[in-house]
Amino acid sequence: MSSPAPSGNGQPAGTPPRVVSRLNPANAVTASRFLTLPPFLWAVHHGQHDVAFFAILICGLLDKLDGLVAKIFDCRSVFGELFDAITDGVCYGFCLVTVLVYGWAPWIPVVIALGLGGLNSLLRGAYVKRAGRPVNYKSYAMERLVAFVAYLVGFAVAGYEVTYFYWTFVPLMIVVVAHDGRRMLVDPVPPPAVQAPAAAATVGAV
Amino acid sequence: MTLGAHSLIAWIVTVGTMSLSCAWLVYDTRNLLRLRGADRRDPLVRDKLFGYVIGIITAIVGIVGVLRYHF
Repeated sequence: MSSPAPSGNGQPAGTPPRVVSRLNPANAVTASRFLTLPPFLWAVHHGQHDVAFFAILICGLLDKLDGLVAKIFDCRSVFGELFDAITDGVCYGFCLVTVLVYGWAPWIPVVIALGLGGLNSLLRGAYVKRAGRPVNYKSYAMERLVAFVAYLVGFAVAGYEVTYFYWTFVPLMIVVVAHDGRRMLVDPVPPPAVQAPAAAATVGAV
Repeated sequence: MTLGAHSLIAWIVTVGTMSLSCAWLVYDTRNLLRLRGADRRDPLVRDKLFGYVIGIITAIVGIVGVLRYHF
């Protein structure tokens, strides 16, 4: 029940990767996001927009909190990054399907978004196979779109310019998945030894 | 849902969307300007440039959406 910490975390070169238990506070916060899904479903089923809104709000806040907890307790790991990405997909996918089924969101953009989300997951799986190691592909553009997806659920629950936001999301998602797909399938995979300093430089630049 | 609750949620969405969109617009514009002299042949630099542009577009979409709702 442990996994190595991701590269570029300040360890001296040549030292073996620090082993982090999977049962750590950051992963506990990530896992707790699943607890917001039953209240969300209950609220949508009973037409309780306010309860549904606060459920998705808490889910989004916990998404921001787990990264902070990982930094404070120094328990970042490859497993944690993958678990966080999977939890994002499950939670926001579940909420999108729920608002779709209950007619709170237009079905065409939701179906396109879910399809592209599934395609993106397959591309990430292909990238892991190409890289030959459990690495979470980092995409600056997709990070921004994931935040947009969380807002999409909130817009549907609040009845807030739903058609506008859902239809503007679709072309953005198409462009980002096409861009990331090319990088994951075509561009050369950077070796781990080269990737670590590049990642460290990225943190310094931003 | 009561009218009051809907109004409260709408204002929370307005404040949340507007504040995040404006902050994001400034943040990604600043990031983009910092990368002006970077080597664009580097895949990581290209990915960051693309991500920041998507971030700016997303922020503008958010601001326009809020304005559409209120005006």
